[in-house]
Amino acid sequence: MISVVVVDDHPVVIAGVRAWCSLADPPIQVLDAGPTVATAWLPPGNGADVVVFDLQLDLTGPAYGDLKRLVDAGRQVVVYSMRADRETVLNCLDIGAFTYLTKAEGEDHLVAATLAAAQNVPYLPPMLSGAFGTDNRPDRPRLSPRETEVLLEWFRSESKEMVAKRLHLTVRRVNACLERARIKYANVGRPAPTKAALVARAIQDGLVQADEL
Amino acid sequence: MGSVERGLLRQGLRYALGLRLVVVATASLAALLLGTAREPVPATAMVLLINAWNVYYAVRTLRGAPRWLVPADVTVLSAVCLLQVWPAPTDGGSGSTNWVSAAAAIALVTYPWQLGTRALAVATIAVMTADIGGAAIADPDGWLAGLGLASIPIRLWMVAEVALSWSLYRLVRRSAQAADRLVARGERIRRDTAVAAARRDDEREYLAALHDTSSATLLMVGAGVAAGGERWLAEQASRDLEVISGPAVVSQREVDLVGMLREVVRHTPLRVRWRGPAAVPMRAVDAVMLSHGTREALTNVVRHAETDSAEVAVSVVGGEAETVVVEVVDSGRGFASDQVSEHRYGVARSIVERMTRIGGRATVDSSPGRGTTVRMECPRTAPESDDGNVEIIATRFQRGLLWATVAINLVILLLLDLPKLLASHDAYRSVAAQYVAMGGFVVLTLVVAAGLLRRRGLGRWRWPLLALVFVLSAVATESVPPDQRLGYAHWSEGNAGWTVVLLLLDTRPLIFVGVLAGHYLMTFAQTVLGADAAITFAASVNATVIVLAFQLGVGMIAIVLRQLAVSSARVARAEEEVRTTEAVAAQLARDRRERYADLAETTVPLLSGLASGELDPGAESVRRSCAVEAAKMRRLFAEDATVPDPLLHELRACIELAERNGVSVTFAEFGERPTIPTGVRRRLTEAPLWALATARGKVRLTVVGSDGTVTVSAVTGRPTEIDPFPDGDGVHTSATVDGDRLWIQSSWQGKS
Repeated sequence: MISVVVVDDHPVVIAGVRAWCSLADPPIQVLDAGPTVATAWLPPGNGADVVVFDLQLDLTGPAYGDLKRLVDAGRQVVVYSMRADRETVLNCLDIGAFTYLTKAEGEDHLVAATLAAAQNVPYLPPMLSGAFGTDNRPDRPRLSPRETEVLLEWFRSESKEMVAKRLHLTVRRVNACLERARIKYANVGRPAPTKAALVARAIQDGLVQADEL
Repeated sequence: MGSVERGLLRQGLRYALGLRLVVVATASLAALLLGTAREPVPATAMVLLINAWNVYYAVRTLRGAPRWLVPADVTVLSAVCLLQVWPAPTDGGSGSTNWVSAAAAIALVTYPWQLGTRALAVATIAVMTADIGGAAIADPDGWLAGLGLASIPIRLWMVAEVALSWSLYRLVRRSAQAADRLVARGERIRRDTAVAAARRDDEREYLAALHDTSSATLLMVGAGVAAGGERWLAEQASRDLEVISGPAVVSQREVDLVGMLREVVRHTPLRVRWRGPAAVPMRAVDAVMLSHGTREALTNVVRHAETDSAEVAVSVVGGEAETVVVEVVDSGRGFASDQVSEHRYGVARSIVERMTRIGGRATVDSSPGRGTTVRMECPRTAPESDDGNVEIIATRFQRGLLWATVAINLVILLLLDLPKLLASHDAYRSVAAQYVAMGGFVVLTLVVAAGLLRRRGLGRWRWPLLALVFVLSAVATESVPPDQRLGYAHWSEGNAGWTVVLLLLDTRPLIFVGVLAGHYLMTFAQTVLGADAAITFAASVNATVIVLAFQLGVGMIAIVLRQLAVSSARVARAEEEVRTTEAVAAQLARDRRERYADLAETTVPLLSGLASGELDPGAESVRRSCAVEAAKMRRLFAEDATVPDPLLHELRACIELAERNGVSVTFAEFGERPTIPTGVRRRLTEAPLWALATARGKVRLTVVGSDGTVTVSAVTGRPTEIDPFPDGDGVHTSATVDGDRLWIQSSWQGKS
């Protein structure tokens, strides 16, 4: 069974995550939940497949250091945060987080993101997609116009069916675009074992060709 | 021609005529009383006739001179000069002066205020020629014997006086023009500010009125509050239409506040107790604001207070700066003020902002169960802006006059007195003393000029310098032998007075006249004490009158100019007010027409339909149209160029409205956006606004800025019909329908 540890200082959030996990199919086991990152490092949390991680645990700003240490230890981290600004989102992805979810997206995406993280297949929720689509940093990966278009339309509509209809594509093609964009992001910036694993898996699955990157 | 210049010419003319009247009368009547005339009877007739003519001339000139008047005047003056044989003194030679010369001189000196330059030259030559001719006729033997030559300096002095008077006139007039230009520039700036301020005021007032009227009505219909053709709705809709199409309220006219408030009270269903005076006249714009505020307060009582009565109290408090206070008191439910959102457009913005805008203030005092008191105060008269114009004009005038006096003084000293000094070298007791005095006067004049250049007054140096003038004058007189005093060699006698004039020009009239007279008395005293003078007493009176009159004239002009500065500033201000009021009214009318045009195609037909009963407020389509129009107004209220991100600000206003109607909105935005012009922004938010206003259930609203393109997108439950959103202003709108969802997005390609 897929297991998860929740690092969040808000009891309501933890209760919500527990509820969603218990209803998930296949069910997800919540090994432990706590307000500090220690929960993820100590038993039983250290054995979890996925860490659901609230980025802002205190007032000193985003806990990038904690995230780095988790990622460098090879943990699959789903960042689950109130923050929805592009800089924070892209920073977390650069560090090597598996994906980034805003609290508003939890209900629709947390379970699916956790399952994807356990299987190490790309997962791109709408807000993260919007952050990718409007990324204008000089060291950003080169996306094709179609990929950017799909990223933004997915961000706007939250419905792959609608994106497909609007852009006259198949839903498969929409998914492929999103996943390729995600892999391209895993292939740039700070080296991290999680990012390398994601790229390797994608090449293995034939999502991208090695020479495309 | 500006108001200052106009005022100067009018005043200057009046004083020129006055000066001529007084000087001629003094000199001629003095001569008459002293009885020195050779032919007493015709001389007396001449005195009477010339004074009568002067009066007639002055009156006719002030009433608008006919063309023949000035030539007639020149003829009369020439005739008097030619006939000076009658009043000429029995004993005197032509070297001395009689009152005729004084009269001719003063008339010529005052001519620049009445004649053009060329006419002035002609008149001067004519009168001077007549004067010389008259002197020759009066004493042909003396004239031929060489006394004619001796009389040349005094004639030259008269011509110089005319020239100086003319340059004085030109300089002062130029400073008037400069003052006019300055005032006009100040006025332009103030007018632009006033127009801008009034536009802002009117815009806010218009929005506030819209909020109180059309917006509220449309919102109610949109929310489905009004089911059928209710009378009050139709009445309200037609009142709303009046507000939309009504004229701008900003005006400076006075109206009666109480009358306006009674009208407001008449339209409320409440029982209103009334306290206050029978009438309170005040500026229309303020009265309108107060009555709108009162209307809003009473509406709030109807809506929220759960009572059917209220009290409206009007009072005027304060001493000089009167303040009008209007209180709306109810003893209804009340509320805890900390529980009411500050951002609501209601009471806070309508009343508090209105009052702040017109320089007043408003407080809302309430607590649960104890009723509510809304207190509005505003100053009864507009705060007077302190008048910089007086300062500008007065400074300009004073500088002009001082420069003119510096020029006069230098001309007199160097061109008139220096030749006298050089010609009389042998006569003086000490030539060195004469040169010291001459040099001293020139230096003093230059000191004043330097101060003028550096725009600094004399300050505390005035009195030491003045003492120096007296000392120099006394030294100069003392070194003239007693028998030459008041004669040709005694150049400093009257002309030292010019330096006195220069030093005292900006003091009070009494000091000016007193010191000047004191200087003459000192010189006369020195002469009298020193025994026999060079010329007779009567002759010296006439000579003194000419010089003194001119000096006094300059001093008088200084006083006139100071008064003129005040009155001109007042006139300029009044003219400015008229022009500003016109400019404001014109601009506001234009603004209103434009705003009406904005609403004419959408809001106006809806309100007209509701007013006439043609539209059924219960019908779904009408309800939806009203909701959309209400949302558009909400967006209009949120339009504010000063917020950092107007697009998000306006969208948030629409989101807030939708959420109040029970719609759940998720909003997200990413990316950098270029600055979006207002027109584009309106079109860009048109479709999302419609989606928010008509939606039921959930809406996802996003804004994306990417590569210079701005896209606003809304995903919502699919409504029964979709309004068309034509492209325009570079904005493209497209819709995608998928099952029961509608996805509509508008994008605009700005500069990347």
